[in-house]
Amino acid sequence: MPMKKFINRPENIVPELLQGLALAHPKQVRLVGNNLIARAKPKVWGKVGLVTLGGSGHEPGLSGFVGDGMLDVSVAGEIFAAPGAPRCLEALRLANGGAGVLFVVLNHAGDVLSSNITMQMAQREGLNVRIVLTHEDIAGGPKPEDRRGLVGFLPVYKVAGAAAEQGLPLEKCVELAERMERNARTLSVAVRTATHPATGQPIFDLGDDEMEVGMGQHGEAGTGRMKLKGADETASLMLQMLLDDLEVKPDEELLVIVNGAGATTLMELFILFRRVHQILTEKQIKLVRAKVGEFITTQEQAGFQLMIARMDAELIHYWDAPCDAPYFTVR
Amino acid sequence: MRCSVLYGAMRDRLDRAALSRMIAGAAAQIREQHPRLSELDSAAGDGDHGTAMLRSMDRLEKGFASGPPACLKTCFQQGGWNLFGADGGASSSLLGTFFLGMADGVAANVSSMDCRDLSLAFESGLNAVRQQTKAQPGDKTMMDALVPAVATFTATAQNGKSMEAALEEAAHAAKAGAEATRNFTARYGRARFLGEKTRGHQDPGATSIALLFEGFHDGLREPHGETGNA
Repeated sequence: MPMKKFINRPENIVPELLQGLALAHPKQVRLVGNNLIARAKPKVWGKVGLVTLGGSGHEPGLSGFVGDGMLDVSVAGEIFAAPGAPRCLEALRLANGGAGVLFVVLNHAGDVLSSNITMQMAQREGLNVRIVLTHEDIAGGPKPEDRRGLVGFLPVYKVAGAAAEQGLPLEKCVELAERMERNARTLSVAVRTATHPATGQPIFDLGDDEMEVGMGQHGEAGTGRMKLKGADETASLMLQMLLDDLEVKPDEELLVIVNGAGATTLMELFILFRRVHQILTEKQIKLVRAKVGEFITTQEQAGFQLMIARMDAELIHYWDAPCDAPYFTVR
Repeated sequence: MRCSVLYGAMRDRLDRAALSRMIAGAAAQIREQHPRLSELDSAAGDGDHGTAMLRSMDRLEKGFASGPPACLKTCFQQGGWNLFGADGGASSSLLGTFFLGMADGVAANVSSMDCRDLSLAFESGLNAVRQQTKAQPGDKTMMDALVPAVATFTATAQNGKSMEAALEEAAHAAKAGAEATRNFTARYGRARFLGEKTRGHQDPGATSIALLFEGFHDGLREPHGETGNA
């Protein structure tokens, strides 16, 4: 069956989508250099810069979060593939405002390799750069280095971005980003595959009556294939795994994010969120902040990611701070 | 095979033109086999390894075609940068690292190298890759092909064989290494999340390395007019 996607030539997907993003949000972002998404108006000199990298095909992530109070520059790779070091280095130079750069990297093999090579080059140039690696996907197992970076990048961008905007030093921005990251846990579930927009092939196989808990960001299979379950049961199962992993106790305060994978409707996401809220209320765990929507997707994959993060007064302060990115605005 | 020892020794130096032919040979292999690479990748990854490799080889070949300097060190450096610039995820970063590492193993301002020089360059490239990944042979990655390819090249070169013969042996070793990955369980990259399920599938990264070495050999062999396109 031919792929039903509105694309032109596969090799033009990334530049064309970035052009569209920049044209649709000219007050927030612009396309500069070698296909970098940067803020429409650069940050004033003397503040920490925030840069990220990641493959494309996951819109609005990650470039949709470039803007005041969030990222300075995003380096988009090809479909599901990390961008190489030369463009990352270009982004670090662009974001450097004399106070150092925080480079947020989601834990995926290609992204980590590119960022390590980039760091070697940045150090040779004397750029002051610190990496914060996000790895909050509990499906990876107990070892942090095996855990992938999923939607947990969002509060890290938000909190570190707000701190940088307020003029805090790099050390403090790194500390906040790491604290946010350390306290976040995500689990994903897929119920239907996506089509790879460049190859036209499905990225994994899943039976009509199956779902897979722990599915990664690119269809790299998870470990929890099971019979399809309903909304309440799925939400409950996944939430319990997250609460156990983070060892959440009553009276603790949580941020909850429900992230749609692309083909799961907002209707479904609200139904799932409602159940998460019910369970947390029963357990006397405080759900202090929430976001429901699409922040990082995998084409028309059906499923969602559930993220919980333990918050404290300082993290909430920066989560609530103003920001103005195409897909995240706080006034 | 060769008419005289003297001729053989002269032929057995790699210069920019010969290096360009090796790159072109490798690019031709990838161009021919990229659908198979993507198919192998779909067993445990997202099925785009072939297109990523295609992009990488296009960049690499174009860089060499557009007149690189005669200095081989610079050729390898530019090759590494071009590979990084291909935005091909982990595979282009690792290949780029291999080329930059090769540059580190080549003396400055030389315009040709002998078999021993090339083996030192390969060893240096492999060391650079080892600094970026902890993967060992047996982990079902490109290392399963790259490690035996480099070791075999060095051993063959030390036995006094020609560069072409050493590349041929290296290509065989890489191919055997890639085929052996069928029996391994993935422990690195995205495929590691599939664990035991990856058994029975040949690793696409190792397969790519085997194709590159086969292509390097094709490229070096061509002017001898022995078999043409194998």
